[in-house]
Amino acid sequence: MFIGAIGCEPLQLARVHLENSRSLDVYRKNGGYQAIKKVLDSMSPDDVINELKKSALRGRGGAGFPTGMKWSFVPKDSPKPKYVVCNADESEPGTFKDRYLMERDPHMLIEGMLIAAYALGAKTNYIYTRGEYRYLIDIMDVALEEARAAGLLGNKILGTEFGCEIYTHTGAGAYICGEETALLSSLEGMRGHPRMKPPFPAVSGLYAAPTVVNNVETLTAVPDIIKMGGEAYQKLGTEKSGGTKVWSVSGHVNRPGVYELPMGYDDMEKFIMEDCGGMLGGKQLKAVIPGGSSVYIMRADQIIGKDVRMDYEGIVAAGSSVGSGGFIVMDETVDVFESTKNLTEFYKHESCGWCTPCREGTDWLVKVFKRIAAGHGRPEDAQLMLDLCDNIEGKSFCPLGDAAAWPIQSAIKRFPEDFRKHLVTSIDSGVST
Amino acid sequence: MSTQPIQIQPLSQPVNIGDEVASFSPEVEAEIDGHLAKYPVMRSAILPLMFIVQRERGYLDAPGVAYLAKRLRLRITDIWEVATFYSMIYTQPVGKYHIQICKTLSCKIMGEPGITDHVCNKLGIRLGETTADGKFTVSLVECLGSCGTAPMFQIGFDYHENLTTEKVDQILDGLK
Amino acid sequence: MSTEVIKVNINSKEFEVPKGARLIDVCRDKGFDIPSFCYYSDLALQASCRMCLVRIEKMPKLQTSCTIICTDGMIVTTQSEEIEKAQRSMLEFLLANHPLDCPVCDRGGECELQEMTFDWGGLEERFIEKKNYAPEKYLSPMVANDPQRCILCKRCTRVCDEWMGEDAIEAGGRGANTVIGTYGGWLDCSQCGNCIEVCPTGTLLDGTYRHQARPWELAQTISTCSYCSDGCEMSLGSRAGELMRIVARDRYVNGHNGEFLCIKGRFGHPFVNHEDRLRTPLIRYKKGGKLIPATWDEAIRYTAEKLKAAAAAYGPDALGVVGSPRITNEANYALHKFATEVVGTKNYAATDAFSLKPFFDNLGAPLATHRDIRYAKTILLIGGEPEELQPLTAKQIRQAVSNGAAKLIVINSVPIRLVEHAAQFIHIRPGMENAAVWALGHSSNETTAAQKMGIEANELSALRQTITETEGDVVIMFGGELNAAAQMIVAQLANSFRADTRRVLLHPLPLYNNSVGAHDMGMMNGAMSVAEMLDATGSSIRALYVAGSFLPEHLRGREEALAKLDFLAVHELFETDTTAFADVVLPAASFAEIDGTFTNNDGLVQRVRQSIPPVHQAKPDWMITAALAAELGKDFGFQMSASAVFREIAERIPAYSGLRYPVLKDESNPVQARYNIVEPRDLSSALNELKQTVAALPDDGEKSNVTPRVGHELFKIGTLTDKVSQFHLLAAGNPRPDTVRVSPLYQITVDAKLERDAAVSGD
Repeated sequence: MFIGAIGCEPLQLARVHLENSRSLDVYRKNGGYQAIKKVLDSMSPDDVINELKKSALRGRGGAGFPTGMKWSFVPKDSPKPKYVVCNADESEPGTFKDRYLMERDPHMLIEGMLIAAYALGAKTNYIYTRGEYRYLIDIMDVALEEARAAGLLGNKILGTEFGCEIYTHTGAGAYICGEETALLSSLEGMRGHPRMKPPFPAVSGLYAAPTVVNNVETLTAVPDIIKMGGEAYQKLGTEKSGGTKVWSVSGHVNRPGVYELPMGYDDMEKFIMEDCGGMLGGKQLKAVIPGGSSVYIMRADQIIGKDVRMDYEGIVAAGSSVGSGGFIVMDETVDVFESTKNLTEFYKHESCGWCTPCREGTDWLVKVFKRIAAGHGRPEDAQLMLDLCDNIEGKSFCPLGDAAAWPIQSAIKRFPEDFRKHLVTSIDSGVST
Repeated sequence: MSTQPIQIQPLSQPVNIGDEVASFSPEVEAEIDGHLAKYPVMRSAILPLMFIVQRERGYLDAPGVAYLAKRLRLRITDIWEVATFYSMIYTQPVGKYHIQICKTLSCKIMGEPGITDHVCNKLGIRLGETTADGKFTVSLVECLGSCGTAPMFQIGFDYHENLTTEKVDQILDGLK
Repeated sequence: MSTEVIKVNINSKEFEVPKGARLIDVCRDKGFDIPSFCYYSDLALQASCRMCLVRIEKMPKLQTSCTIICTDGMIVTTQSEEIEKAQRSMLEFLLANHPLDCPVCDRGGECELQEMTFDWGGLEERFIEKKNYAPEKYLSPMVANDPQRCILCKRCTRVCDEWMGEDAIEAGGRGANTVIGTYGGWLDCSQCGNCIEVCPTGTLLDGTYRHQARPWELAQTISTCSYCSDGCEMSLGSRAGELMRIVARDRYVNGHNGEFLCIKGRFGHPFVNHEDRLRTPLIRYKKGGKLIPATWDEAIRYTAEKLKAAAAAYGPDALGVVGSPRITNEANYALHKFATEVVGTKNYAATDAFSLKPFFDNLGAPLATHRDIRYAKTILLIGGEPEELQPLTAKQIRQAVSNGAAKLIVINSVPIRLVEHAAQFIHIRPGMENAAVWALGHSSNETTAAQKMGIEANELSALRQTITETEGDVVIMFGGELNAAAQMIVAQLANSFRADTRRVLLHPLPLYNNSVGAHDMGMMNGAMSVAEMLDATGSSIRALYVAGSFLPEHLRGREEALAKLDFLAVHELFETDTTAFADVVLPAASFAEIDGTFTNNDGLVQRVRQSIPPVHQAKPDWMITAALAAELGKDFGFQMSASAVFREIAERIPAYSGLRYPVLKDESNPVQARYNIVEPRDLSSALNELKQTVAALPDDGEKSNVTPRVGHELFKIGTLTDKVSQFHLLAAGNPRPDTVRVSPLYQITVDAKLERDAAVSGD
């Protein structure tokens, strides 16, 4: 599996190939903990947030919300304690970048969190890691212990008045806990149900106190932003999407892996066909899901020759979205009906059950898929599935319902032939490609 | 009236809640204290503690639930509602080695079905079952974040990636 | 909610609403129907059913109106093709796995899911796949459960948590496998059945009424509970002279308790039509002989003769008249009138556990209603155990604390369950409640009292500080532990704690449904208490005329008292320890068979209405008393009408002046009796008396650290609850039967052996 940067100098992946890359020593020798030093020496919390704003860093978990703005929502005058929570509940199908960032360079995450904690005035911080990534929790615990011993955690960090603690926390198998409010419910020891927004976590999050929840990749971008300055970081990418982005690539390519690309990388076809080594076994590209499973599936002809720019705006223009940056590449042997069924089963399994449309809708959709797969498809089933998706989309409590609907909607519209062959007769009515 | 017992879903399965409360060694208690110290609210430690009980007792049995309720000063139902929400918490016994094969899209298209068949055939059990000696349980799980190294499974907490049938044989044969 | 007014536009009409109003409430209030399942007033928001969707301008998606607080200029659409489709689709989703077995569902006919489907649902069913099957089962002797009908609105789990503080029922599992249940599948709680009541579907059902009747067959009669002093309003469902069930569903009744009832109110009614009910008047012609059935005429004549003879022989004061805190105001009033005007005895009393006379005689502040308790800012609970003895009060306290951020201060020798919600728990030695009141009466007593009670003196000053820092209502509650002097001081405490921004309200916690009414009717004004009368039998008391029976605690240690009487006449529903000594037993009608009023611990005068005709030959108590008076030559002028009795009550009892049945007819607008608030009293002698009492208290009592078991009072078997088989199961510790499995009708009643026999016989 490939890990590395293409089209730019590696930032987040700068140290991943070094020997003992997860040790404090190696991290420090390669520029580590310079950013926190700079912050503590010469920057106010507002300065940090301003740099973040200038960097145009957008949340890498999937929603793409500008990070600097998110941090600025935390009320400064709140008498309550504040929390920074790292969302390492990476569970989006096709996404595995955070895993390697933590595995290879845990101190980068710790430094990012320290800077965030300083900027927000947080004394206690948690890294919520999905339960399956137990080995990463162990790696993080070792790194945290190293940092603590080196005076980088606890009271008087680097001899300054600033002090804070970072703890690891384990999930236990629930995709929904990647949603920030569900993550906070889970961290409080509850069932992992999302919570109502407003109030947003920035105002009332963990233990009803102001909380910022950021993805691993977002936090690990912070030290470089501080070191090079927000503007320089932004210039690595595009105006609205600054910096670099780490993509996960899986499926039918010769070189799956974790790729760091500048935001706005040109273009997606080159990325798949050249950077990722082209299609496995020389087969034809059929479909790509570019942002983890919760985005629209793309047809090959939406990519080939279309010069799709790889940033938030470019991929939206091409008919999908960046999401978590998890590419699932599918060749001509894949039946998109089957792949969509697979993802729908995923959403059914992971629906938390809180709200009606998501709970019942995903259950029903899986049943329809299974019935069709068992040979009992009816021509009207495509329309039925689209209508069920419409009834879920925009009506569910949290975005999981939408995420379940989008793959189906796009698959039926973009790959009607794959559905048609299962539905006995034509599915033409009302379905356009 | 039919007296045939009707198949009950696991959640409604009666559990004999005795008065027994699990107890643990001082080392484990210290480990638990360590987790409790991380949080301002005890209840936050519920998942880490469930994993510990599970590690020590194989699964979250009734005495384990009673222990957690007592230790965290919660009601039994609080433990139950949380335990049944998370797929990694087992309220029923599982084999010593729980083989969890990732079935989500990337693994699926990269050969998961062949791996699953091979594992089941080799162990002589169906999905969701445990071998008679209680050693292996096989189940399909959703995405484990190993898409670039598909297909894969996790045994306990260990990742086994880029699986082939030969590699599966090697791994399973190596487990005592 | 502030008084500031903002403008909201709903469906192109402009409305002025108070700032902070919730959109769903506003829409409904203005006549725009909005469907919902999970939204329930004064419970935590859920926003999960997604039925109450509306379109709000400038918001990207449809919004749940239950989560939206109105803002000025908000433009709302509640009806459109888009919204109707969304609502239709939510119902389609909810019905997808629903078994659609309305014809065999107890909820059919009063089911919110059914009604919503008729009103908002689609016409066709598109779901043709296999439904997720889940078997029916019992969760407890009281609660039947059909999980497949569940829509996961979680009203049940929320009332269990927020109303009852028990958290006994919860949602387990995830996604489509989510179920409402308990660990181990057996519900261990106070069995209030509120989860059943708030369930909008047939998921949680009354296990004692399973498949007994269809809702539309039942005549619904609004009445008042006959157990504790909280006076919950309820709807009695009867069919053909039989009381089938009791509910508080808001479609039938809308009292101060909302849909809340406790186990006794909801399930404790089978005594009404029980086969052990007395069928005719009975006369024991000879001491030691048997009770022989008699006609009413004969029984009344016989009783009158015997009473007349006793009065002639020993004087009228040798006759005792005993009322009851369980019977109506009308009945107690008739007894009081009988004692004072017919017999002319000064010896009359009601069989209550304690008298509130010293409290009412010195009342220095209004009584708190249950609504006041919900919105109080500070609640001081001295003694008592409302979660077992006055469950509605306990519910209001919990909601005041959790939803209204009220501060609860508990003074008790036992860590009762409410302590969990308390801001301060003053854990005193047993029997020290009077000492606590003595300390409250004057701060100079605090040090001595604290020493006696086994607490730190600063605990009392902290209490005092909490009260004096309160802005809003302070409610002071007390149980039966207080003596007369302490009651007097509590009744006057308002004078020391009242302020411009602080109201002090009082809330006594008597034990019975009409404890307050029995006091109001004057039955506690007699020269002797019930215990004193029993001690005097055979000497100064020669004959007793008793409505209801003596309490077990009255007869304890006085087993021979009743045998010493020359004559004992008793009104009763059943044969009891009291009727065992009676010379005449007169079959009385139960609360379900009569009209009348009870007065609860709020001082609310509440209607009791006839749901079924009196069973067998039973008669209302007041009517029996009036017949006896007539036989003794006094016409009470009641003309066979309870309302005429009440009219006379209103004329003679100042607190009830102006009241009439029509004034009391709307349970949603309850009427409080107007008790006389006395001028501040000189408390020095009461304080002095208490000082002596406190000094005499032993100061080595052990504090209990054990929280009492849920149900230790509620599940106790009394004369009435004895007639409900499920109470016996609960009193025995709610054992889970081996056969609690699936079959709805067999699992509770059939043990494993019987089930085998049934199989053999091919049944």
